[in-house]
Amino acid sequence: MTKRPFSKDILHLENIDEVIDMICEKLREDVYKRFRRYGGVIGISGGIDSSVTLALAAKAFGPEKLLAIMLPETDSSPESELLAIELADKFGVKSIVENISGALEGFGCYKRRDEAVKNVIPEFNPATDKMKVIIPEEFVNKNLPPVHFVSVILKDGTKKRARLPLKEYLQIVAASNFKQRSRANMLYYHAEALNYAVIGTPNKHEVQQGFFVKYGDGAADVMPIGNLFKTQVYQIAKHLGVPDAIIQRTPTTDTYSAEQTQEEFFYQMPFEKMDLLWYGWENNYAAEEVAPVMEMTAEQVNNIFKNFARKKQTTEYLRTPPLHDYYIKKQLVKM
Amino acid sequence: MKEKIRSFIAEITFNDSSLIKDDTMIFDEGIFDSMGLLGLINFIESEFNVLAEDSDLQEENFGSVERIVAFIEKKQTQAA
Repeated sequence: MTKRPFSKDILHLENIDEVIDMICEKLREDVYKRFRRYGGVIGISGGIDSSVTLALAAKAFGPEKLLAIMLPETDSSPESELLAIELADKFGVKSIVENISGALEGFGCYKRRDEAVKNVIPEFNPATDKMKVIIPEEFVNKNLPPVHFVSVILKDGTKKRARLPLKEYLQIVAASNFKQRSRANMLYYHAEALNYAVIGTPNKHEVQQGFFVKYGDGAADVMPIGNLFKTQVYQIAKHLGVPDAIIQRTPTTDTYSAEQTQEEFFYQMPFEKMDLLWYGWENNYAAEEVAPVMEMTAEQVNNIFKNFARKKQTTEYLRTPPLHDYYIKKQLVKM
Repeated sequence: MKEKIRSFIAEITFNDSSLIKDDTMIFDEGIFDSMGLLGLINFIESEFNVLAEDSDLQEENFGSVERIVAFIEKKQTQAA
């Protein structure tokens, strides 16, 4: 089969109803027939991915077979919860709130994270200041792995930032990951109590580039948008009637106390651009063909392709399920 | 110095040190990720007393064994 010429419209879903029907059909097949679960539980955040996942699942199973759960904690934006409620109401799905701050306090999530921040910015006071982890713009597209900094906004508005040494970087990430893992625990509690499946919300970029927490938001039984590009997720959102306030919102991590977009934390480029470049890389389009469409040089495209390859390779661990083939019983051979 | 750096890279990336040539581009080959780079920064600080400033974090200083050696030597000369 010959490849379609690379263009800006290459990811546009022409037959969107067919795509939605295909996803819904497979969801019913997997959840009902394969896993023998009666419905689905979804963690909703007021973000575009969980909203589209809920809209698709509501269409696949019917709203009465879904439970939407908001899982806020101390650092969550209050706006997220309001949008999540609006979404669940719009699709007629029952929603509940499970605040996980107590569990996180118990795990020492905030204490462990803040201790690492204080090691690099001693004046940081978690009671009054806000923090986030960033990759500064000057470190983007340097053909180096991402270099992470902690950025703090002090009570008086002063901003301070410092490069994270290995120990502190790992401690902040490990402590913050309690959030996604505590959410997964709560989702599985409700799923098991109802004999439902957990419907995961990561999109294709999150899965392929490893922007998820293993056994956190990466813990689910099915991931209906796991093979969809972000622009396709938006296209489905509009088609299925996801509230405009959610569609218009800039995707955030909603993980640290300071506001942070996904672009500044991880992806380092707008998702419209990333979708096309990832598609080009994944489907072996030559940088020379992609570059004019993207209004970039072939060298810039090649650097981004190299970055994608590195991200995919270095995050393989996250996508790998537990390995268990350590002992293989020898087959008995009749003599 | 070169061998110490080569062994360190080989050890933290689980590669055979003979595969890491002086001019192997460690980022291009997918040998190194963020953690590898941070580990390397720690290593040259503790082993050679060389502090990498934010502005030093460039492929030309960290991209290969020979570039890392040149970077350390430059820093040591500047400090002397």
